[in-house]
Amino acid sequence: MFKVRPGPGEVLKLIGRLDASEAEGAMDVLLKVDHSLTADCSELDYISSAGLGVIMETYKRLHARGLGLRLVNVSPHIRNVFRYVGLDRVIEIDQADPSHPDS
Amino acid sequence: MSERRFGRTFRSLEGIFKFVAEFLESSGLPAPAAFELDLVIEELFTNMVKYAPHGAPEIEIGLTRLGPDVVIVLRDFDVEPFDPTRAPRADVGRPLGERPAGGLGLHLVRRIARDLRYDYRDRSSTITVTVTTAPGL
Repeated sequence: MFKVRPGPGEVLKLIGRLDASEAEGAMDVLLKVDHSLTADCSELDYISSAGLGVIMETYKRLHARGLGLRLVNVSPHIRNVFRYVGLDRVIEIDQADPSHPDS
Repeated sequence: MSERRFGRTFRSLEGIFKFVAEFLESSGLPAPAAFELDLVIEELFTNMVKYAPHGAPEIEIGLTRLGPDVVIVLRDFDVEPFDPTRAPRADVGRPLGERPAGGLGLHLVRRIARDLRYDYRDRSSTITVTVTTAPGL
């Protein structure tokens, strides 16, 4: 189960598991974003390459329009997935909040 | 060994993740290890779904504990061969715009797996991958 919940300002909260069965729905939601985006990942439990594809496409689309994408409150597991594919050098990723249970 | 068959569709993922969680609990392995196991299995399973749409209706997944390691066996029946150990490697050092699409899933599998083997006989593909549950990822 994966959900996107609007947060304050330019924040969207990504919630649940962003796997291959959820990637299409996630892309549909993120395609509607037309501003610089801060994605709060404090409740994102899991991501696979299909989910990375959604994030990469969103980054590329926003970047082409001079807009930004930042991931915040990212758990160590998920940060490592981004690191393994070199996306941590492309997309701004902030470590998990110390109060997050996974950190 | 725990073994189960899952329908050849992305919708099977939820059931697969539940299967992994049940296996970890019954094997006395730490629940957070599910992240790596789920990731490796999802990448290999969804490759089978995507690239062999006309294979047998179900794909078999087996899980075995060997000390701190889990040996995952995925068996895909009535398919053409696809050897993930020989698939081209993704160049994750290239700028995003210059990267060809795809390849990240197997890159993640290779990064996480301690061992990855492939066997093909009688029109069946068998992928055997070993993942450690010791903290690391």
